[in-house]
Amino acid sequence: MSALSLDIPIVETERLILRGPEARDFDTLAAFFADEGRSWGFGGPKTRNEAWRWFAGNIGHWALHGYGFWTVETREGGQIIGVVGLWNPEGWPEPELGWVMFAGSEGKGYAYEAAQAARSHAYGPMGFTTMTSNIIPGNARSVALAERLGARYEREFTNVTDETEMAYRHPSPEALAKAEGAA
Amino acid sequence: MTGVLSIPVIETKRLILRGPEAGDYPDFKSTFTSYRARFMGGPLNPYESWMLYAAEIGHWQIRGYGMWMIHDKASDETYGMAGGWKPAMWPEPEIAWVIWPDKAGKGFALEATHAVRRFLYQQKGWTTAVSYIDPMNLDSIRLAERLGAVKDNDAQSVDGSDAVYRHPAPAKLDGSQLAHGIEMEIGHYTDPKFKPEGWAID
Repeated sequence: MSALSLDIPIVETERLILRGPEARDFDTLAAFFADEGRSWGFGGPKTRNEAWRWFAGNIGHWALHGYGFWTVETREGGQIIGVVGLWNPEGWPEPELGWVMFAGSEGKGYAYEAAQAARSHAYGPMGFTTMTSNIIPGNARSVALAERLGARYEREFTNVTDETEMAYRHPSPEALAKAEGAA
Repeated sequence: MTGVLSIPVIETKRLILRGPEAGDYPDFKSTFTSYRARFMGGPLNPYESWMLYAAEIGHWQIRGYGMWMIHDKASDETYGMAGGWKPAMWPEPEIAWVIWPDKAGKGFALEATHAVRRFLYQQKGWTTAVSYIDPMNLDSIRLAERLGAVKDNDAQSVDGSDAVYRHPAPAKLDGSQLAHGIEMEIGHYTDPKFKPEGWAID
């Protein structure tokens, strides 16, 4: 046997569970990627085949980097409501915190709750010292969430599909700790 | 999900096949970002290449089988990949292979693919297998034929642009003349001094 480490931690919040991707998540993810109106800011739309490759690629991303996208479930009812995680495939300027909520799960503060938990886990156990979020211009909902998380616009860059994308920089672990202490 | 992703190791005379590892990625990238990848959805840009490599690993987790990295048994250098492949939309599980361009012509694909096919049949319980091949990929079609696969005009292809080659069933590879022929051809590569008598020249 050759062995790749695939240790995907479970992160829990008040209302949500962030867990590793499982085969049963795929149909929901494929439906999200097929919907251009929802997925255009997240590399979509994608065909079912392309969505599967992203899904399999995310598992490999965990194996290669030790981090990736978690599937977000509601603690009550176990509903799959989105993905949130840390992403850094080749061609990315640096690791980023990304998030997506599936249809029907917006407007409840889930994305904020999940993204905040993922960032805490990144800064804590995973040892990240800085974090960005990349947002395609026009994605006002994501900009609003990034800003609510305390991230600020930093610069533009050209992404792997030759589009202009905006990088938002999150507060450092120290700045967050200080803000928490003050609150 | 915690723990490890365990991938069986397969050994042949010259080769050792292991799961894809982080250190093997640069070799994979060289081929998949090159013209060599034109029959495999490429050439890919570096992002696409990395994501495909990550998907090769995820495939193992999701399906319980996948593509092995082919290494030289002595030097450990990589020669390509071979294994089972079934992303979404594939009509059937496929036996697939790729050899880095500068390692072609030494029988590595034959030796590796013959071994993974036997593994998938014997250890994973496959009862049949296909290979989806671009009709212009003559090297791969030739290899499929050397492995005893036959074009299956009735089988569904991935998207209509590929030809389906059906591999011989497990029983047909058990002590058969075909199996003997494949072993003999592999033997020809593994022992360069071996020259069978009466070998066709034309």
